[in-house]
Amino acid sequence: MLITKNIKPADVILQNYHLIPIISRFGIKFGFGDKNVEQICKQYGIHTDFFLEIVNAFNDKDYNPYEKLRNMSLSLTVSYLLKSHYYYNKVKLPFIENLIDSLEWEEEDNVKNKNVLKKFFSQYRKEVTEHTANEETEIYPYVLELEQNYNNTGKTASSLLEKLKTKSIKDYAETHDELNSSLLDLKNIIIKYLQPAKNQDVTEQILIEIFKLEKDLTDHTELENNVVIPVAERMETELKNRN
Amino acid sequence: MAAKLSFLIVEKSYIIRSGLMQIISNFYETGVVNELHNVENLLKNISGIKPDVLIINAKLIDAVPELILDIRKKFKDLKLIVFVGTRREADNFSVFDLKISVDEPKSLIVEKIQSLINEIKPKKDDNLSENLSEREKEVVKQIALGKTNKEIGETLFISPHTVITHRKNITKKLGIKTVSGLTVYAILNNLIKIEEAV
Ligand SMILES: [Fe+2]
Ligand SMILES: [Fe+2]
Repeated sequence: MLITKNIKPADVILQNYHLIPIISRFGIKFGFGDKNVEQICKQYGIHTDFFLEIVNAFNDKDYNPYEKLRNMSLSLTVSYLLKSHYYYNKVKLPFIENLIDSLEWEEEDNVKNKNVLKKFFSQYRKEVTEHTANEETEIYPYVLELEQNYNNTGKTASSLLEKLKTKSIKDYAETHDELNSSLLDLKNIIIKYLQPAKNQDVTEQILIEIFKLEKDLTDHTELENNVVIPVAERMETELKNRN
Repeated sequence: MAAKLSFLIVEKSYIIRSGLMQIISNFYETGVVNELHNVENLLKNISGIKPDVLIINAKLIDAVPELILDIRKKFKDLKLIVFVGTRREADNFSVFDLKISVDEPKSLIVEKIQSLINEIKPKKDDNLSENLSEREKEVVKQIALGKTNKEIGETLFISPHTVITHRKNITKKLGIKTVSGLTVYAILNNLIKIEEAV
């Protein structure tokens, strides 16, 4: 189903609960009654067309949002990516970490199993934090600077021209990884090799959270690879030609 | 982890393609499913994707009948399924391993494709017992201790190349790719002590 600005998000979410985290990520609070997408976006100051691309992509795996997103301002995509970073680092990863911490085994295995999982997960958490921190301090500010100068038909800032001599978004593109292989390993370990914990309900929750996070991260990386990188590349070339 | 099969669907119509996709994705053995919209560059794509099964619309090869013979010759292990959209009893599809047609019920199509899959599977599953060999366990242990391929080779008196082969097989068997994942496995299975891990 294609979600348009006249559709009521309440109806869509009732049909597809996977949209719940996306709604929250845009800062929309529940209890929005029968308002339609356009009304809600207006209320929260959200760019409606951008919102529609993101929710449609999330709602239908065959929906391709990239073409349209590449033609919108990069600042929209970047601010959404930043919100996702916050969600991973400050909400989801600590939540899963706490769940792991609450797993319990019989006396003699408890310490070993818990420590090994905790260590693995904290290493992974660090990996994600470093990855996102690098994007937030290096990559995103750089692409926003590109965009600002690109839109400014006057003189390009000399500081940027200086950077363009040595810097290129291609360097980031070449080393940009998915952050997913550790999650894949963790799923395998829990499903196949970990001694069953006493609280299987927690095990179940952890697995579900990992699957959701994995999908979310994949979409996130796709957005970076298919929108941020190609648009930045285009602007780099254009700015170099202009000057 | 059992080896999954890779499929390539060659079909122009979106509606038919997604129908075929729907059927294919429901098999346990299904791994990657790739799609092509026409036969341009088909040979090149097969070389690149290396599918186990190719599904192609009969209409697409009407204009280039020699193409399928070419594929058969070049890719001996590739299973060929022809999809027939309209009644064409007169045609001879003997070059294909299987024919499915638009008017067949789902149960029949699924059954036919499943038996074709079963023909391929044993070969792909060769030497894939789920358990690690003693040598592989030793390699996992060394990886968990933080050793490089070169160091592992020196310790176990094997070439670094052999170490890489072991690592590939270990990942295939366990479904664990990263060093930290293998370390967890090694500790859980008492191959090393938690204090020894890097
Ligand atoms: Fe990111
Ligand atoms: Fe990233």
